[in-house]
Amino acid sequence: MKRLLTAAFLAAMASGASAEDVKLQLKWVTQAQFAGYYVAKDKGFYEEEGLNVTILPGGPDIAPTQVIAGGGADVIVEWMPAALAAREKGLPLVNIAQPFAKSGMMLTCLKETGIKEPKDFADKTLGVWFFGNEYPFLSWMATLGLKTDGSPGGVTVLKQGFNVDPLLQKQAACISTMTYNEYWQVIDAGIKPEDLVTFKYEDQGVATLEDGLYVLEDRLADPAFQETMVKFVRASMKGWKYAEANPDEAAMIVLDNDQTGAQTETHQKRMMGEIAKLTAGSNGALDVAAAEQTVATLLAGGSDPVITKAPEGAWTSVITDKALAN
Amino acid sequence: MTALWIAIGIWLAAWALNVWLSASPISQTRLGKLLVPLVFGATVLVLWEGLVRGLGIAPVILPAPSAIAAKIAVSLPILWQDFAQTILKGAIPGFLIGAGAAFLVAIAIDRSPFLQRGLLPIGNFVAALPIVGLAPILVMWFGFDWQSKAAVVVVMVFFPMLVNIVAGLQASERMQRDLMATWGASYVQTLIKLRLPAAMPFVFNGLKIASTLALIGAIVAEFFGSPVYGMGFRISTEVGRLGLDMVWAEIAVAALAGSALYGLVALIERWVTFWHPSQRH
Amino acid sequence: MNRVLPVLTVLTGIVVIWYAAAVWMNAAWVFDQAQRAGQEVTWAEVIPQTMDQPRPLLPPPHQVGAELWKGLFGQAVTSKRSLVYHGIVTLKGTMMGFGLGIVVGVLLAMAIVRFRVMDLSVMPWAIISQTVPIVALAPMIITVSSQLGLSGRDVPKAVIAAYLSFFPVLVSMVKGLRSPDQMQLDLLKTYGAGEAATFLKLRLPASMPYFFASLKVAVAASLVGTIVGELPTGAIEGLGARMLIGSQFGEPLIMWAALFAAAILAGLLILTVGLVERVARRRMGVPA
Repeated sequence: MKRLLTAAFLAAMASGASAEDVKLQLKWVTQAQFAGYYVAKDKGFYEEEGLNVTILPGGPDIAPTQVIAGGGADVIVEWMPAALAAREKGLPLVNIAQPFAKSGMMLTCLKETGIKEPKDFADKTLGVWFFGNEYPFLSWMATLGLKTDGSPGGVTVLKQGFNVDPLLQKQAACISTMTYNEYWQVIDAGIKPEDLVTFKYEDQGVATLEDGLYVLEDRLADPAFQETMVKFVRASMKGWKYAEANPDEAAMIVLDNDQTGAQTETHQKRMMGEIAKLTAGSNGALDVAAAEQTVATLLAGGSDPVITKAPEGAWTSVITDKALAN
Repeated sequence: MTALWIAIGIWLAAWALNVWLSASPISQTRLGKLLVPLVFGATVLVLWEGLVRGLGIAPVILPAPSAIAAKIAVSLPILWQDFAQTILKGAIPGFLIGAGAAFLVAIAIDRSPFLQRGLLPIGNFVAALPIVGLAPILVMWFGFDWQSKAAVVVVMVFFPMLVNIVAGLQASERMQRDLMATWGASYVQTLIKLRLPAAMPFVFNGLKIASTLALIGAIVAEFFGSPVYGMGFRISTEVGRLGLDMVWAEIAVAALAGSALYGLVALIERWVTFWHPSQRH
Repeated sequence: MNRVLPVLTVLTGIVVIWYAAAVWMNAAWVFDQAQRAGQEVTWAEVIPQTMDQPRPLLPPPHQVGAELWKGLFGQAVTSKRSLVYHGIVTLKGTMMGFGLGIVVGVLLAMAIVRFRVMDLSVMPWAIISQTVPIVALAPMIITVSSQLGLSGRDVPKAVIAAYLSFFPVLVSMVKGLRSPDQMQLDLLKTYGAGEAATFLKLRLPASMPYFFASLKVAVAASLVGTIVGELPTGAIEGLGARMLIGSQFGEPLIMWAALFAAAILAGLLILTVGLVERVARRRMGVPA
């Protein structure tokens, strides 16, 4: 407990003097996946609430969970499986809001490999992201009864990099894609949709909750922090709804915030369109049934479960109840 | 806090021991030369342990050495599998192929001063480039397994080696070469008996640089795609899972492997270039 | 001048091989596409198609050149799309790391030469430190520096760069500070020079050629460190970040252009250091 307290203490120190400063750590690089936050910032929604929000883009070596543990952020965008796994490791993360109602994760396969349904995965090579994103995949394979250690009858797993090359170079039969990003890169690369077979995690009943907002449990006890988070979630959701309604404008806001200057308008506009489908129907409040479904999926992890027991107190509606009250 | 003060106390005592050791005749012996750095290394670990415990640093940020050691003890099979994938299959073949290719190219262009004049500045330039940036491209070309890792290592190692070997082949003195000529030695004889031995200090200098590059290359390349084992894979995955003790266990293995490789090169160097002034202690 | 022709010859050779490789590597995709469309293609049709693919396996030189030109001169240097802008970001990190590396390297070298205990205890660990893959430490360096309240990306980047660049300076400076021979040391003793005077008047000047020789290596190492640091530390700006984004979004041209921009930067840095070295040598009266 002492350790946790120190982490919390450091986090409190790092958040600085003004209580209304909020640092948000994203899960990945600046892209339309995080449009709501950028819109809320650029459109002044945060400012209206009296917040000074700093958005920190992520990257391949940045684990938001580690950043928040180190006090580098007040709130993080994370996927529920990774957050729950971190919670089991002793980092008490709590979900305070869930802007993404649906999962955008899927497995995209080349038709020529002969894969038609999930049981055809046996003895094939599948590309998977790691770094905390592998949990839903491992759970799915466990439900299918496929071993992931490369033994006969199981599947061979590749750690796929940050792009779709393994599919294009035929190094893998299937790769992980997001509906809003990598899938379209495959299409852009000149492969026709009819040459592809896709399996959405959502359709396979193994969906887990993606991009949610998480904070440290001990800090939630502080009413001032709670108040800040209420404002933050309210403004963020306003940003998300604005982005949903004005996808093109939102994409341009994201582009303006991309400091690498390497993102393109086509990519971001299309991504925004797909993201809007995932955020549609969420007012920010967590759907407890979906969260329990996530937990059930993760617990089904067979011999190597992602989490060993159902978490307690891993989500709260305290913030969203207040934020959505008016 | 007591843990911290105890650690600092041990640190000071050990430092005093080292000061005394270095001043005493023991430090002239081989044992002494080994003992002093070991004591120093041990005190760093003790201080680290004390810091982590004394300040209550969360294990998801910096695990204590004892926790890392415990992790190493229970994960030996995994560590070995990762080591075999990254070092034995990626780094070492790449190192050998890269150094071998550089050697062949250096010999091939040896008789053409024209090519040497052309290749050397370019080689020097490329040797200074951030070749690691090629890693994602090479992973795309050579696939996920160790082949792409070896390829990254080959490219990283090749140019520093080439530059050093070419410079080494020019290291023999005019007078020595003239002497060989008066004895009627052929090109090949001069190469084998005089110029190659004379080049060895340069070759080993290159090999030492290459040995550390090889490790970095193999690990960075795993970042951009790999099978589900390997040191780079484990490090990047475990950071995401907050398994920092495992990350440090891999770092320890990497440091050990790197030092062993470096030490091996240094040992062979001593054996091959026993005649060079730098080896006479 | 007798170098120009050979270098040009070798460069031409490289470009020719590059084109050949581009045709060979990119052709597979053209054939694949034709097969999916159920068409037959001849080599005469394939070759032009390998020259301007949007996502080539190996972009031919002119494509890289065009992208590089666009990145360098296609827009204002302050634009986020400008490679000059990202080059400057990387340069800043490199220089900070380089400076830090020099300071650490020189101070450690002084301590090692002065105190035998430092020599025996620290030197072996300095060598071992270089065998630790820095990428593995990068995330740790980021979290620790954010814990210390340094939230900017510059500090972790500079630390990584310094970690790689201090070593060549250290090794050369130790050699250099030890380079005065016994006779010279004895002479200074007969003049009644103290330790400080010996250091300032003999050891330090004697070490300068070694120092400058190490700078070229150190600056190159620092650039590598900065780029490696930019890959994982949040991929926000800098040439390393662009390489990563290029890789992630399947835009190989962006990646190659960033790679060549990094090469140009490396060339400029090495030239500058070489120039500084030459000026310093002349000032100190060292024969060229």
